[in-house]
Amino acid sequence: MFIGVTGYNHEASAALVDKNGVLVDFYREESLSRIKGDKSFPRRSIKKLLVTNNLKIEDIERVAFYERPLSAFLHIVKEASLHMPRSLPLLTHQFRNFNRSSVSCYLDFAKFFRGLENKLIYSDHHLSHTLTALAYSDSRKDICSVVVDGFGDRSTASISQIVDPTEINELWECLYPVSLGLFYSSITDYLGFAINEGEYKVMGLASFGDSNSKSAKLVRGLMDWDYASNQMISDMSYFDYHLSTSNSFSSKLEDLLGPARNPFNQLIPGDSDFQRCANIARGAQDLTIYLLGKIFTHAHKITSSRRFLFSGGVSMNSASIDHLAQMPFVDEIIIPPNPGDAGCAIGAAFYCYLKSNSCSDIKISKPSFFPSLKEKRNDELLTEQIIFNEFTFLERCEDNAFLKAAELISTGEIIGTVLSSSETGPRALGNRSLLCDGKNKYAVNKLNTVIKNRSPFRPTAPAMRYEIAKKFYKLRPEIYDCYKSMSATCKCLEDNISLEFPTTHVDGTARIQIVENNSSLDKLLSMLEPMGIEILANSSLNVSGDPTCFDLVDGLMVCSRTKLSYLLTDLGLLKRKT
Amino acid sequence: MKKSQSELPVFHETAHAELASALEMLAACKATESSNQAFGYFMHAKDEYNHAKSFFEILSNRAKRASIEEARDFRFKPPSLITKGYISKQGFLIETMKLKDFIAFVYTNELLAKSSFENILIMVGNSSEEGKIISSIMADELRHHGMAKKFFLNHYPALQPWQLRIYRMKETFNNRGRKIYDINLKFLDKLLTPLYKAMAYVAGTMAKKLNLNEFKREGKNLMNISSNSIL
Ligand SMILES: [Fe+2]
Ligand SMILES: [Fe+2]
Ligand SMILES: [Fe+2]
Repeated sequence: MFIGVTGYNHEASAALVDKNGVLVDFYREESLSRIKGDKSFPRRSIKKLLVTNNLKIEDIERVAFYERPLSAFLHIVKEASLHMPRSLPLLTHQFRNFNRSSVSCYLDFAKFFRGLENKLIYSDHHLSHTLTALAYSDSRKDICSVVVDGFGDRSTASISQIVDPTEINELWECLYPVSLGLFYSSITDYLGFAINEGEYKVMGLASFGDSNSKSAKLVRGLMDWDYASNQMISDMSYFDYHLSTSNSFSSKLEDLLGPARNPFNQLIPGDSDFQRCANIARGAQDLTIYLLGKIFTHAHKITSSRRFLFSGGVSMNSASIDHLAQMPFVDEIIIPPNPGDAGCAIGAAFYCYLKSNSCSDIKISKPSFFPSLKEKRNDELLTEQIIFNEFTFLERCEDNAFLKAAELISTGEIIGTVLSSSETGPRALGNRSLLCDGKNKYAVNKLNTVIKNRSPFRPTAPAMRYEIAKKFYKLRPEIYDCYKSMSATCKCLEDNISLEFPTTHVDGTARIQIVENNSSLDKLLSMLEPMGIEILANSSLNVSGDPTCFDLVDGLMVCSRTKLSYLLTDLGLLKRKT
Repeated sequence: MKKSQSELPVFHETAHAELASALEMLAACKATESSNQAFGYFMHAKDEYNHAKSFFEILSNRAKRASIEEARDFRFKPPSLITKGYISKQGFLIETMKLKDFIAFVYTNELLAKSSFENILIMVGNSSEEGKIISSIMADELRHHGMAKKFFLNHYPALQPWQLRIYRMKETFNNRGRKIYDINLKFLDKLLTPLYKAMAYVAGTMAKKLNLNEFKREGKNLMNISSNSIL
């Protein structure tokens, strides 16, 4: 058995791969600690992997950490050292927290899982991303991997050629501090949203912006592609992320674009500052699409590949994928369901597995979208009194519960789900979702505002079968797999009724989900279709600011804290007592 | 304006503390073997979540009126629950304490929370809308305190109320100790910052000379790089 872990600098998680190359189990630390974006050593996740799978330390052959800790530390220090004395607070912070950085992961293993520290190995950050993506690809040979993120342990973007899983040659890299991911985060921060969480909001906001506006053009000029060196370039004087612990952008950016937004003021379409912010977001989005295009073109040029793996935080920019798919040399783009740093645990676990098997024809099974195992502990017993006091059972038998849930959805109700195993990635694909009729404006609006308290400029995703999606959207076969994990947006067909759907964004796009056969959503849709409902609006089951629900107790808690009335669970369909 | 700014840290910290309590109770709910206890912890967690929400709302109302630079410092970043020490790195209390100590801890802390809210009540004004919310939170805390007391005496009948009072004294003392320790730490930090900076300057001057190009990956098979190297 092999374990991969992430943490410290980015979201913590742990993954388990068995001796046959199968991803057996995976947990994000935030699911268990209930602290969104939890970066601590993934103690709970590792413990849960061991307990749920009945493993002892001796059963673990190797453990891989997803990046090289000293490299991550030194690259930041080296860059900051070039800007003293301005960067002194950052340097002081780095040195004072040295023992709390990922350099101490060996010690944390020794402290919490004695014996595992001796089995610890390290993978490159971008290699971990690449191996995660590779696991979700059907072919494992002769493919190009593009990784674009904020910063890992040395570069901020890279291109590698995968000859086979034992030969992955890096051919190009973009060096810190120039970083498309950190640029996007800085704009996110400037617009008043939280870094690592608000990037989706910036993407949604961009749809309201005008590419030809002055603000958009100014942002668009903050980075560029240099054809002579084939590198991304950036005027670093607008940014502070490489110099400061607290500021991602400099006062020069505020001189250029006007004052940063107060994060506590709600941003509502029509308000005075809304258009300026939307234009800035548009500029960031345009620049991202432009630079990703350049990176992919360069990747094609140096590898001759037409098939690409795409991972790293920037690959979560679902609005840019449709553009990439249209590039003439692209035959296929694969994005794993968890392309961010938390997903790197999967790649790190496969790294251990590959390191223990030297032949090039090695087997890797394509992981499921729902790999987290259910706890053996009995939910029914634990939640008995909570349910007895606060809820009523509408249906206990599984088929009846689904049918009743479908009936409720058809009458405009919203249903939460806590079914089977939880999703790997940041998007709920049906097992930990909030669902309603995707064409019912009233229901979708209620889901967004009353229950989720979402920003009004972020639409909810529509989920449907492939045959239905074809009727409404311009689908691209190059990114078919991306639609299954909500990793790419697509355009509505021209003059199509889908332009009127409440799940369609103001720019005529939607972040669709094509449901997998035999999944929970597939089952629900099969019951809904005879009732005339073919599209579900699908959002993650959580209260805004919290991680997505993990277990039944979390689901019951969301019901109790919000106006959500119905919860479809493995025990049956529940209704909250008023 | 001045007044609303100086109040921001109070609401920011209190919201963190309440959210941490919610997470502690949720963890206790999931850890127990008894369905009845799970229900008790569940309802307690729900209350604490609501308290946190109220404090975040009060914070938000005031931060809207503050300067942008000031307001930016009071955005909620969930991992700060750990870095600020509201949730221990070692785990939730239920994971690290004996059940008896855990209940006693809840018993005393609910009361201490209530009394700390008295100051906040004065700050926002007794009869204001916010004052009413805080009064109802205080009533909740008193109820939690009562529940913990009842649970404690039911499960540990051999213990007498006066023993709980000792727990309370101990915890009050610890709390005060924590505060003094915190103040000392901050003072020490201020004192040592120039020293740290000087050290960072020296280390930074050395780091300038670091050549990390040797560790570049371009042209290399990433699978062949030593898996034991941390660089
Ligand atoms: Fe990354
Ligand atoms: Fe409270
Ligand atoms: Fe309380």
